Amino acid sequence: MSIEYTDVQLDALRELANIGSGKASTALSMLLGRAVDISVPKAHALSFADAVEAAGDHEQEVTGIVLGIVGDLDGVVLLLITPEDADTVCEILGVEPGSEYAPSALGEVANIVGSSYINALAEMTGMAIEPTPPATATDMLGAIVESVLASQAHAGDVALMLDSELAVEGSDCSVAFMLVPSQDGVGELLGRLGLG
Amino acid sequence: MGELAISDTPGEVLVSLGLGSCIGLAVVDKRAGVAGLAHIVLPATTGTPKPEAMNKFADHAVPALVDGMVERGASRVFMQAALVGGASMFAGAGLEVGSRNADAVRELVASRRVPVVAEAVGGSRGRTVKVDVTNGTVSVREAGGTEEVLAA
Repeated sequence: MSIEYTDVQLDALRELANIGSGKASTALSMLLGRAVDISVPKAHALSFADAVEAAGDHEQEVTGIVLGIVGDLDGVVLLLITPEDADTVCEILGVEPGSEYAPSALGEVANIVGSSYINALAEMTGMAIEPTPPATATDMLGAIVESVLASQAHAGDVALMLDSELAVEGSDCSVAFMLVPSQDGVGELLGRLGLG
Repeated sequence: MGELAISDTPGEVLVSLGLGSCIGLAVVDKRAGVAGLAHIVLPATTGTPKPEAMNKFADHAVPALVDGMVERGASRVFMQAALVGGASMFAGAGLEVGSRNADAVRELVASRRVPVVAEAVGGSRGRTVKVDVTNGTVSVREAGGTEEVLAA
């Protein structure tokens, strides 16, 4: 079974991502006490190989923070941040970068930002969904993205990624955001929007 | 991801960058000078994926790699396999595809009677694998580490 999405469906998913990342940026802005800009989100329905390709240089070191989504929608939210930007976020929060508290602080940032994203999705679609606790890894970009995609792939040949970026004003620091619903999850999302 | 390459051209190097929970399965027949590398994403097919996505799954990729190498002049008797990847990147996040991938690939390789001579599997770090077709050397680099020879 191969799944293709129409332009209308992709537009609708992009709009969901837009509102979700709007809420997430507000949460990040309150947490950091800085203004946060959001990019226009992208919705990609890509083959696996292309999805990893689209994320960037496979061997680049990044910090990835994963929140699972459970309930009416299965999937994950992945936050990607470069190690330098992760240090900047820690500094803004008053946590010493590289210290034992840093991963926990970043996990908490992801938790707050990711949860507000997930809550926005829940409100818009009327689904009962909750985030699971964050897990953090600093590793090769390709390894992080592929592991997340593999966990959601099941029979799918196509990965759907809703991709937005949050930029913290005045500190040259940004967080990339990806919502990867499981294949069933995409159908559920579109169904709730009346586009299934 | 989900790609499979076989080469008998000296000087060529087969590479999979940034393997996480995926498995890079390298098979070499040094006598025949044939080497192959498959980038395996999931243990087994579920449903009916597109033909071009078949090699994502261990149950298709392992036979395809071994048979493809035989077609290029390799002999199963002289084949040696090395497994790389299968990491658990996010401990405790319920994303444990890595160890299931490794188990599936080991079993499938054994069922084709190809010995596994080396492994760099598990843990929590991403890895890059390279197979040098010239001499059948398999080398691995972990995230933040340096390249090391896994099987010469």
